[in-house]
Amino acid sequence: MIELKGVTKLYQGQAVPAVQNLSLSINRGEICVFVGPSGCGKSTTLRMINRMIEPSSGTIEIDGKNIMSSDPDSLRMGIGYVIQQIGLLPHRTIAENIAIVPRLYKWPKEKIKSRVNELLEMMGLDPAETRNKYPSQLSGGQMQRVGVARAMAVDPSIMLMDEPFGAVDPVARNRLQDEFLRLQKEINKTIVFVTHDINEAIKMGDKIAILNQGQLIQFGTPEEILTDPANDFVENFIGYDRIVKKLNLYTVAEAMKTSFGLVDEAEFSGINAKIPNAEVIFVRDQGEQLVGYLTAEDLSAQGAQRLTQVARQKRLSFVKLNTPLPDALSLMLENDADYVAVLDGDRLCGAI
Amino acid sequence: MQFVNQNSTTIVEYTQNHFELVLTAVLISLLLWVPSGILLTKSDKWARRALAIANIIFCIPSLSLFAVFVTIPFLGLGRQSALLALVLYAMMPLMRNVYDGVKNVDRNVLEAAKGMGMSTGRIMREIRLPLGMPVIFAGFRITVVMTTGIAAIATYIGERNLGRFISEGLVRSNTNMIITGAILISVIAVGLDTFLGLVEKRVVPRGLRVRR
Ligand SMILES: Nc1ncnc2c1ncn2[C@@H]1O[C@H](COP(=O)(O)OP(=O)(O)OP(=O)(O)O)[C@@H](O)[C@H]1O
Ligand SMILES: [Mg+2]
Repeated sequence: MIELKGVTKLYQGQAVPAVQNLSLSINRGEICVFVGPSGCGKSTTLRMINRMIEPSSGTIEIDGKNIMSSDPDSLRMGIGYVIQQIGLLPHRTIAENIAIVPRLYKWPKEKIKSRVNELLEMMGLDPAETRNKYPSQLSGGQMQRVGVARAMAVDPSIMLMDEPFGAVDPVARNRLQDEFLRLQKEINKTIVFVTHDINEAIKMGDKIAILNQGQLIQFGTPEEILTDPANDFVENFIGYDRIVKKLNLYTVAEAMKTSFGLVDEAEFSGINAKIPNAEVIFVRDQGEQLVGYLTAEDLSAQGAQRLTQVARQKRLSFVKLNTPLPDALSLMLENDADYVAVLDGDRLCGAI
Repeated sequence: MQFVNQNSTTIVEYTQNHFELVLTAVLISLLLWVPSGILLTKSDKWARRALAIANIIFCIPSLSLFAVFVTIPFLGLGRQSALLALVLYAMMPLMRNVYDGVKNVDRNVLEAAKGMGMSTGRIMREIRLPLGMPVIFAGFRITVVMTTGIAAIATYIGERNLGRFISEGLVRSNTNMIITGAILISVIAVGLDTFLGLVEKRVVPRGLRVRR
């Protein structure tokens, strides 16, 4: 756990502090995102946590221990640090770059080698191909990955990331974000993440700290901040599409109806077909393939004979459990559909 | 050619003397100016002062500097004065380039290195020096070539080296003598520079040379 208590930083020659009386605590295993306009003190705050900068006043504790009481170099060795410009050593190979902190810890050669390979694989890079390259031979996205791998080399429990995906194009950034979130589920690190992009903050953060002019304006989960912005600044910062952004927090799994009907086409031919009483009824053919759906209204308005036709006329689309809700909704708009089917693997498990 | 044949022993002697002077001067310069260039990165104030002094010395014409040292009692005519002057001239190209090379390393690389817990000494050895090597080496090459040239002028304060062919040749209007001296000095300068160019290839880290 990282705890900032009344931290202030006044740079020399500055009239207004870069960071002012900032207090917040970051729980173990959480991603806490610092977000705010340029110059609001995000980097300054982050860099105080690994003592790259010393606070003018206030204290910072990691797991209850004041960081000023430990040696700065060994403190930094135990904290992963990623910066936007990455800062790979241009005269060292990728493997050597990743091995920097393990070497500081004097790990044996064999252990370093296998760890480097493991990390490269984890970051989606081919070890054999990448190991002996130099940074100038990699693409921006690949360098970014190496930067993250290097910070994770000795498996530190805390990572500080200052706009780690800032230097790549939006497509690559999205991929890196997704991959990193997936990775975080396994590694469960305490992460302090700096960005000036509110969308990235909402996507990455378990908690978001919104800063402006060195002050903490609001601190909470993305949901809290989107639902209940503390003031006009936050509201403006989030933007007019607050509602849409909020939808992004949800996946199909959280919004779907789990009560639905499922009938075989063949049953319609029976005069007294046993039609389930549900808001939406999916229809499947003999091959157990879903072919369409019916709504409650269709049932009351149409005779049983025509139901098959009605069901088949509607375009049926499918989404997965972990599809973001806005994607599912736009699919519905596109197909002019009232419902889409939600699949868990191959199994039908709900409707929206 | 005839001149060369007739005076081969003198030529060998002068060449030897010339090399000796240059090598000693370069060696002392390295021992002195490389560490001071590195030390200067610790204090901007001292760096400004030292570089200003180096600059002033560099601007004094070599003949004047040699002459001034001769008047100083315990230096006198000969080796000591010549060495001192050469070493002082080297201050500018050598110390300045070491300082620049070590100082102007990409800030982001330094930030990342420090942030990973590398100590200041380690950063100097493993990052600043290797990354500054191209600049440092450029300064070293200039120093060597320059020293070779200026050493010739030390003949006026009693050094018996290749410069003597030129000065005496001028006095006696002996064209062959002048040309021999001039060519030999140039060959040595170019030769040394080429040799150092080859050394540089081995010293500059590979990662700085690969391009995509
Ligand atoms: N080393 C420094 N010396 C003096 N002032 C500084 C220094 N570093 C930052 N500042 C000032 O402190 C304030 C906060 O800077 P900081 O780098 O923390 O901003 P930031 O939120 O990270 O901005 P950005 O999004 O542009 O990176 C700025 O006004 C900046 O000019
Ligand atoms: Mg910043």
